[in-house]
Amino acid sequence: MQLRPHGLTAALLISAAGAMPAMASEELLQNICSACHTAEKNGLSRISGQRKSPEGWMMTIVRMQQSHGLEISAGDRRAIVQHLADTQGLAPAEAAPFRYALEKDPNAQESFDEPFASMCARCHTGARGLLQNRTAEEWELHMDFHVGHFPTIEYQALGRDREWYKIARTEIAGYLAEQNPLETAAWTDWQAADKQPVAGDWVVMTDLPGIGEAYGKLTVTGDASPYQVSGTFMTADGNAHPVSGQMNLYTGYEWRANLDIGGTPYRQVLALSEDGNSLQGRQFDRSNDALGAPLSGVRDGTGSVILGTVPSAVPAGEAQVQVVGTGLDGLDASAGEAAANTYGAALSLASEGNGVVTFSAGGVEGQIAHYTSVDSLRVEPEFTIARVGGGSEDGPAAVPAYFNAVGMWNGPDGKAGTEDDVRIGRVEAQWTVANAHEHAAHMKDTEFAGEMQASGIFAPAVAGPNPDRPFSANNAGELTVQAEAMGQQAEAMLIVTVQRFIDPPIR
Amino acid sequence: MKPLNQKAERVQQAAAEGQMEEVRAMQTVTAGCATTFDPGWEVDPFGGLAALCQPMEADLYGCSDPCWWPAQVPDIMVNHPNWDEGAPNAAKDWRALGATYPTDAET
Repeated sequence: MQLRPHGLTAALLISAAGAMPAMASEELLQNICSACHTAEKNGLSRISGQRKSPEGWMMTIVRMQQSHGLEISAGDRRAIVQHLADTQGLAPAEAAPFRYALEKDPNAQESFDEPFASMCARCHTGARGLLQNRTAEEWELHMDFHVGHFPTIEYQALGRDREWYKIARTEIAGYLAEQNPLETAAWTDWQAADKQPVAGDWVVMTDLPGIGEAYGKLTVTGDASPYQVSGTFMTADGNAHPVSGQMNLYTGYEWRANLDIGGTPYRQVLALSEDGNSLQGRQFDRSNDALGAPLSGVRDGTGSVILGTVPSAVPAGEAQVQVVGTGLDGLDASAGEAAANTYGAALSLASEGNGVVTFSAGGVEGQIAHYTSVDSLRVEPEFTIARVGGGSEDGPAAVPAYFNAVGMWNGPDGKAGTEDDVRIGRVEAQWTVANAHEHAAHMKDTEFAGEMQASGIFAPAVAGPNPDRPFSANNAGELTVQAEAMGQQAEAMLIVTVQRFIDPPIR
Repeated sequence: MKPLNQKAERVQQAAAEGQMEEVRAMQTVTAGCATTFDPGWEVDPFGGLAALCQPMEADLYGCSDPCWWPAQVPDIMVNHPNWDEGAPNAAKDWRALGATYPTDAET
């Protein structure tokens, strides 16, 4: 079936891929979507009964392209996503519990109650469903859609042991209609709320995997998406990494930026706080979203705010520390010399042994640990997966895994692993991998699954059957990731598995 | 009798070494393939890899065609009818199997 939007105009034809839309958004929606969706009391059929994240709307339009023959330029598609996310999006409080899915956090683990866990979250993240709000009728149609598009859903494991469709219609649809209805007070309030302008200067703090902990300043200019973003990230080694790119702001708070940072394309999935003064989310390598880290930000000049320090902890001795934040003039530190700068305040330390330096300014406080020893180590994340990949032009690239070693002190009770343990911060570590168990040793997983790099990044091996392994097995493997620092060791579990061929913005 | 494939050869070897007790039909190890078997895509029912089909390309279409892992692997039956174009034998032609989500569809 080939769908053609009626009312195809010259203006629409001019709108090339990636270009700006040629028509106002509502007109564009009507022109493109009404070819199939009929006008009803509240808007176009199906569409009017749903609210979603920007990613959710994008995935829906992509499905219309892939399954229903919709032809649309990239520019028009983004404009419709902007329009729908702005007018039928999610309130900040509705998206908040599931931001890990939007942020593509590779280490997030979900836990849902039954029957939702087996009925829905056995194939995709539960977040994918719960980042949507629909009318009761729309949730029922959503169940029907699943059977239509994925007919073996009733025969798969956790499908054939129950009356899947009956449960979907009688229990799940009703549960979701109650949990995530189309109309909510949160959405009504958010629509009525004054949205804060995003333009201005932002002080930010994050981690550039393989490069190091980083802080910086981003300047946002413009008055509508796409906004221009420019600035600099600084790393603890003193290197500056220039930033330039564009950011789209959806629903008044959903910040999506594509930035070049020191020559590498990065993506930011952030949420602007309701008061417009802070940012929270994740920044990752645009071509490899497993390589990323949380990012926090504060609007420059918003009173006194401390985001943290770079580095997060320092070996004892002379050290330069950046206290990242804003309004930190006259920072008062328990040791060292502080001087305000454009990213907060620089702190020159000369410390001995293990200890903590505290600092405060304008009523806010922070601290940094200096160390010569740690009582224990922790590898973060404790469990994650990587994927083999590459080896071809068309196939998915390998998905690495990124680990950090965190130093710990025992705390007042003198025991490791208890609640009063003191988290020092990230420490330099030596990294190795070992076979996780007897079967992994038999398969020689450490030889085949990939390599652990000094930066804590595990680089998986190439995809495809490997004739050098028993049964030409893939280069999958079950590994223990081991960190060693200052005489302490810690472990994490890593599963190196196969490629993911469907990899949408919400998994 | 002469073993016809590697598995049969391994069984014969196990018998010769008195290790037949370690030989298990696949369904006793995991939920495996087709409708009576279900490995997950990334991990087996025990959270590891030991019971996954390996290499996955050897039996990929048998499972992916009828959308066995609809959120991870394109099914040819309904949603991605052309995914296997130019790759009739996944074990040999795996390099032609691409990702389906368009790279330009960013928000």
